[in-house]
Amino acid sequence: MAQQPYKQVMTRQQIFAASLRRWLIPLGVVLLILFAVIYPQLIDKQNIWNLFFLICLHTTLSQSWNILAGFAGQTSLGHAAFFGIGAFVTRTLWLDGTPFALAFLAGGMATVAFAMLIGAPTFRLRGAYFAIGTLGVAEVLRITVSQNVPFISSMPGPMMAAYDLAPRYYLALGLAIVTTGAAYLLLRSPWSLGILAVREDEGAAQSMGVHVLGHKLLALAFSSFFAGLAGGLFAFQQISYYPAAPFSPLWTFDALLIAFIGGLGTLAGPVIGAIFFILVRQQLAVTLVEIHQVVFGIFFIAIVLVFPGGLVEAAMRLRRIRWPKRPS
Amino acid sequence: MTRFLDIHGINASYGDAQALRDVSINVNEGEIVALIGPNGAGKTTLMRVIAGLHPPLSGTVKLGDTALHPLAAYQIVEEGVILVPEGRRLFGGLSVLDNLELGAYAPRARKSRFTMLKHVFELFPMLAERQHQHANTLSGGQQQMLAIGRALMGLPKLLMLDEPSLGLAPLIVENIFEIVKRMNDEGVTIFLVEQNARRALELANRAYILEQGRIAGKGTGKELLHNNDVREAYLGYAPATG
Amino acid sequence: MSIESFAQTLVFGLFVGSIYGIAAMGLALVFGVLKMLNIAHGELLMLGGYATFWAFRTFGMDPFVSLAISIPLLFAVGLILDRTIYHRIVRLLGEEKIKNSLLVSFGLTLVIQNLAIWLFTADERTVQVSYAGVGFNLLGVALPYTRLLSLVIALTATLALSYFLHRTYPGKAILGTAEDFEAAELAGINIHRVYMLTFALGASLASIAGTLVTVIYGISPSIGIIWTLKALIVIVLAGTGSILGAFPAGILLGVVEAVSGAFIGPTYREVIGLVIFVLVLILRPQGLFTRK
Repeated sequence: MAQQPYKQVMTRQQIFAASLRRWLIPLGVVLLILFAVIYPQLIDKQNIWNLFFLICLHTTLSQSWNILAGFAGQTSLGHAAFFGIGAFVTRTLWLDGTPFALAFLAGGMATVAFAMLIGAPTFRLRGAYFAIGTLGVAEVLRITVSQNVPFISSMPGPMMAAYDLAPRYYLALGLAIVTTGAAYLLLRSPWSLGILAVREDEGAAQSMGVHVLGHKLLALAFSSFFAGLAGGLFAFQQISYYPAAPFSPLWTFDALLIAFIGGLGTLAGPVIGAIFFILVRQQLAVTLVEIHQVVFGIFFIAIVLVFPGGLVEAAMRLRRIRWPKRPS
Repeated sequence: MTRFLDIHGINASYGDAQALRDVSINVNEGEIVALIGPNGAGKTTLMRVIAGLHPPLSGTVKLGDTALHPLAAYQIVEEGVILVPEGRRLFGGLSVLDNLELGAYAPRARKSRFTMLKHVFELFPMLAERQHQHANTLSGGQQQMLAIGRALMGLPKLLMLDEPSLGLAPLIVENIFEIVKRMNDEGVTIFLVEQNARRALELANRAYILEQGRIAGKGTGKELLHNNDVREAYLGYAPATG
Repeated sequence: MSIESFAQTLVFGLFVGSIYGIAAMGLALVFGVLKMLNIAHGELLMLGGYATFWAFRTFGMDPFVSLAISIPLLFAVGLILDRTIYHRIVRLLGEEKIKNSLLVSFGLTLVIQNLAIWLFTADERTVQVSYAGVGFNLLGVALPYTRLLSLVIALTATLALSYFLHRTYPGKAILGTAEDFEAAELAGINIHRVYMLTFALGASLASIAGTLVTVIYGISPSIGIIWTLKALIVIVLAGTGSILGAFPAGILLGVVEAVSGAFIGPTYREVIGLVIFVLVLILRPQGLFTRK
């Protein structure tokens, strides 16, 4: 049966609304960044600096995981390995006298090197095997470090005296912005179609001529680099910690949780998720102290069951309820 | 004749494509009804929809007055509609005996499972001989017998068979069709999907033709056997001249 | 190294391995039938252990006797968890199912672990029975009663599971569902009930392991994830299709750990298992005990 051609006639108001909507997101991002830059400076309270730092750190960690799991579809449970290596290399070099900027970058590069080394054999695993395999690798690293470097790593006196959270926060903010920006650019790069195709259906992608392993490794490179830098950031910010601590699977799970709560596979997901996660966790920790994690866990399970697409999906569903889809 | 199985207006998807369009079929009690058609026409999808493995987009499936389409697959088995699926789908790692026993798992069939077991062994003596062997050590024909036997253990009122002759030698195929006829004589209504259109039409009281998800024709077995279009498309005859 | 101390090492590997085996079997059962990875398995093990600890502290009940309480308790917990959470996930497909089951079970890990901290504090607790440290000596090899009893219980549970799966009607239905759930449905098997029963069984097995762990090592809220990882290693060694194969695989792991710990040094005992795990995953993913 022939379909009636739909004649699109937009009123002047609709044209204005449409162009406004196009600028809304970049405007929102700019405002958010301005807020993030100015607000802590304005308030200048230790706990606010700390809160914002945590949000940025977790945004980076989660966004880097999102690149591998959300865009390329490789659900890795070993993300803490990257975080740990970055922290380890950066801390070791920096406390040894290397200028921080170099140590920071070295941490990121070392992490990518490691990732490329284990990437090819690990990507031979699929699905659940890949998940537990990556977890295994991360745990091997954690235990090796904890056995061989069991002593706590503390900043030497003069460094501690000169400690200032503000530059650390701005580095964190910068890293979060760069990571999200890199994810955005990756999505607009010529490789993005290949990466997403690998996520949707590896077999089909292969038969279409997509070099599956190459695209996975590319996503892995981005993912590991920024996770490593996040580790370096952690090493920069922490006054003292056990070297094995950043290798703990809890870091992976936090990244996972956040990416998921916000919306896996979306750019805004890790950002929204990190803000939500840190704020809610702090709030619950204050009000419910002992069982706040329990409440958080239950809440998380509920989200997985009801809104598998996270908060982003929830928001989109809400929008559709309030503004039903118009034919366009 | 009572309207036994009544399929009405079924629409179903397969992945993103529409596999069945407005399919309506009825099977009367005691009949053998066949469904023929080319590969990919949607025959297996239809069987899966009836058996409850695949939800339809719209339409109804009723057995007498009972609506089957909202039920789960195992509940449909309890109602007496049992499918012998394409490719047998046996429990390869379990023994022949275990496979048969599990066929009577549904509550209605459970009580009579020991009597039914004897009956199935009479029908298929070579299954009795191999009852302790693992199901995946059987030959293709034996596996098909086991699949049918397993379905019989569930005390079917309506037995559905999806491509029972697939991949089997002609002699075995004859054997199987004989058994199907025999079960029908014993009172089991049969709904049969077959690639082997000739044998299916010879066996069936009535038949439907499914092409590209739609019912393209129906009639009695004899009518369709002598229908020129059917003969060309499915029975391997050259186009009639004159 | 003397023959005696080598034999001692082997025997202790056997003891530890039997616990690894029983800890892994529950997870293997759930993975084999529901095709889901329950990361919270270790937490269920921990709950079983705490039930034992609580019975010991409150009533002075012998931990092996307390199995009569902890097993049904965890069975019930398993039923509830399936009914409320897992049955929604088991019907998903492919990557989505894996992802969601990992996430949900991780959330559950958070909940259960912190619940345990709240109820019992984060301190490590032990259960000191009157016959702890006592045993008998066989050809120079020490065989403590606690460890012997653990081995006996682990073996008994394994044999019981084997009997249940292979010789009872519901057990065979579970095996059939594990092999082909659609074929099982077509045979009239209520697979939702099968899933629920299987999950509850898995939880019960975890609770047995938890009791044994508590008696031999002690318990704290953080052991959950350690044991989940151990169970995962054993499952990979056994091959993920194999349910009962998890027991011999566990013993193998225990022995390998003990022997390498004796020869290379205790610091690497933990790592060796993980390294083998990663190697097997990559080189022989179907495991060591499957026929393929």
